[in-house]
Amino acid sequence: MKHLRIKKGHSPKIDGSPSMAVDTLPRPERVALLPRRIPHVIPRLLVDTGERVAIGSPLIEDKRNPAIRFMSPGGGLIERIAYGPRRVITRIVVRLDDEEDRVLRDPVGARDLEKMTRADLVQRLVEGGLWSFLKALPFRDYPAPDSVPPAIFVTLGSLEPFQPAPEVYLEDQGPLFSLGLMILKKLAADPSTVYVSTAARSAAAIKPVVDGALTHLYDGPYPAQDPGVLLYCIRTTAEQNRSWFIDGQDLLMLAEYLLSGIYPTRRVMVAAGSRAVVRRHLRTRLGVPLASLGAEQKARKDTRCVVGGVFSGYTGSADSYVGLYQTSLTLLPEGNHREFMALFNPGLRKLTYSRAFLSALNSADMEADCNLHGGLRACIACGHCNEVCPVDILPQLTYKAVLAGEVEEYLAIGLLDCVECGLCTYVCPSKIDLAATLRDARAAYYREQG
Amino acid sequence: MQRVFEKIVKGVFDTQRRHFEAGGRLQRLYPFFEAMETVFFALPDTTRSGPHVRDSLDTKRFMAIVVFTLVPLLFFGLYNAGYQSRLASGMSTDLLPVIWQGAWIVLPLVIISYAVGFFWEILFAVKRGHLISEGLFVTAMLFPLTLPPTTPWWQAALGISFGIVIGKEIFGGTGRNFLNPALTGRAFLFFAYPAQMSGDAVWTVVRGAGGRAVDAFSGATPLAVAQLADGVHSVEAALSKAGYSFSRLFLGLYPDSIGASSALLCLLGAIVLVLLGVASYRIILGDILGMLAMGYLLNIIATETSMPYLSLNPFYHLVMGGSAFGFAFMTTDPVSAPDLNAAKWAYGFLIGALTVLIRVFNPAFPEGVMLAILFMNVFAPLLDEIVLRGRLKKRVPNV
Repeated sequence: MKHLRIKKGHSPKIDGSPSMAVDTLPRPERVALLPRRIPHVIPRLLVDTGERVAIGSPLIEDKRNPAIRFMSPGGGLIERIAYGPRRVITRIVVRLDDEEDRVLRDPVGARDLEKMTRADLVQRLVEGGLWSFLKALPFRDYPAPDSVPPAIFVTLGSLEPFQPAPEVYLEDQGPLFSLGLMILKKLAADPSTVYVSTAARSAAAIKPVVDGALTHLYDGPYPAQDPGVLLYCIRTTAEQNRSWFIDGQDLLMLAEYLLSGIYPTRRVMVAAGSRAVVRRHLRTRLGVPLASLGAEQKARKDTRCVVGGVFSGYTGSADSYVGLYQTSLTLLPEGNHREFMALFNPGLRKLTYSRAFLSALNSADMEADCNLHGGLRACIACGHCNEVCPVDILPQLTYKAVLAGEVEEYLAIGLLDCVECGLCTYVCPSKIDLAATLRDARAAYYREQG
Repeated sequence: MQRVFEKIVKGVFDTQRRHFEAGGRLQRLYPFFEAMETVFFALPDTTRSGPHVRDSLDTKRFMAIVVFTLVPLLFFGLYNAGYQSRLASGMSTDLLPVIWQGAWIVLPLVIISYAVGFFWEILFAVKRGHLISEGLFVTAMLFPLTLPPTTPWWQAALGISFGIVIGKEIFGGTGRNFLNPALTGRAFLFFAYPAQMSGDAVWTVVRGAGGRAVDAFSGATPLAVAQLADGVHSVEAALSKAGYSFSRLFLGLYPDSIGASSALLCLLGAIVLVLLGVASYRIILGDILGMLAMGYLLNIIATETSMPYLSLNPFYHLVMGGSAFGFAFMTTDPVSAPDLNAAKWAYGFLIGALTVLIRVFNPAFPEGVMLAILFMNVFAPLLDEIVLRGRLKKRVPNV
């Protein structure tokens, strides 16, 4: 087991972290699939309003590769298909029946899996709609089913505020987890390149479950958990840049699907943030309404519902649903007011990376809001983004190279190594959204590559 | 109390807003209104997508911290200018009259600098359709502090105009300038009006003597004294004979540019800027190391027959002239400095070394720090490029 000490990055001290207590939520009335929140995919509808669907029956397919389908997280009636600007499909809402139907496929046990060929395994995962839980660096799209990864990273836990703790979702899941690892070892070119990583401080809690599977422990600030950051620390060749990764909870879903033959819908999520009434872990299912996680009881004015992490999540309305890959709801104050004399405030409780406030000496958690805390200005080369970037792509330079259209230069500096952590945008005193510029440039480059 | 104050200030802005908004009489001056309002009231704008939370630091606070650290220098400069003026004019040096006279010398230059600076900034902001960037608050404060107290008002106006327009705006404004705007304006005056910007007589405002120093008053600056010393290891003695002991040079109560004389206050300012994370300690330490290294190198090559200036204790270089001010406030301007850490060390080191070289070997320019900084401003992108290439060689490529 290797111990990585990651220095760069930044963990803001945001108030409102969830407790380790776990509640089991009642079954919701409706669940939904949000095609817009699935990156890269160009969805084609396979169902219509009023049709009946079962758990695991396909709702959409990817126009780029129709074999990749996204399944219904519930059994019942398609109540509504909502569209956004430019006819983008925002959500497919299923009203659940009392007794939900399930699509049943042949179960595969550990012994069958050993005998299975790799191609059969891939076929089965694609068929079941679970292939897209695997992701490939550097673009974080699902990998081509016929490709073979140089390495696969399993990430247990996230340092982003606020995400489910691995010790919660791994509890009593030891057999499923080892079956999951068997799947990955079959998919990888070499079984020794399946890497399982977690934060050093949560290692003790999950060791009984994952046994000897852990290969890497890391110490460091957000986003040290990101597979892109770990890869940056351990890579030796350019080929490794095409490694795959999967989140621990998603790996359990892969295993559960093989074992039962049923599309799994279990999810552990968290409700957190300074505006959340109860901050805790929740046992619930895929695509639940935000209201069931606590959005509605706090739907008072000026509260933002962030679905999936303060840095990488999206803004959901209180009547919306959780996306396929998101596992948290964070409620934060909007902060849309004019603060009087903010410029002269010594700032004992101001959230900041810099040392320009007294809060630099304050180790307590601080209330974070969604105010920009400043106006948009030109880059003054303060270098904060260079200091926090976990993969040293010098965002200040990359960003300028992107704006100047210097393709060779920004690729050489390392645009594709960007892990989209959003820290460069977070720290920028000129309030430039560097992360968005870099993300768009990466997406454009990906599209160009075909 | 604070509530009442907030209400009053809010009332002022709310009643005046209509004049500056579209259709109002002063709508062209909206950037000025916005700049003033945001001094008191932070913007209500929020994020739209992730990252949903943003750092509390903005450029306004960043620049305000620099201005804040310059205020002690301004007050000291004001006192010093008044003190030197009354001393040279043979008047009493009681505190109040000194401050009164100093205020009359210094404040007009500062006010002119801000007024003219705002004029250009607003003109370009309106034409380009953006808001006022806070760099102006720093530039307009730095510029008058580098001037001799005798600077004619019209020259101050011309200098800040040159600094802002040619040093900054024609390249696209704050963030796109490659030279330090305040120093660009200062250099313009230095070369365009040498009679008013250099020599021994410009550093003290003398009243009641027809503009000339009275006999008892020797106006030679430490840099000029150092240049004229004769005999190896005699420079310190010559300085001390002219009244410039090390401690006086360090404290700064002698005729000099308005804000640059006190190395002590510059040092304190630099420490505050570094502690608050506004200035790069790499650049400042690089400056000092470069200056000391070059000073000692010249000490080593100094012989009986060489220039006496070569043998000067290098620490004197740190406290004479404008080097302390330049190192603390000019070299640390992040826009005109290099971006990468290794390049910052090199940048600082070369500025320090060049300053000593210009001072010692170029009698036409007694003060080298201004030219050294502007020269290295031009080379900053090259230093970055060299460092960047070195980094990329070690990086596993990903394309």
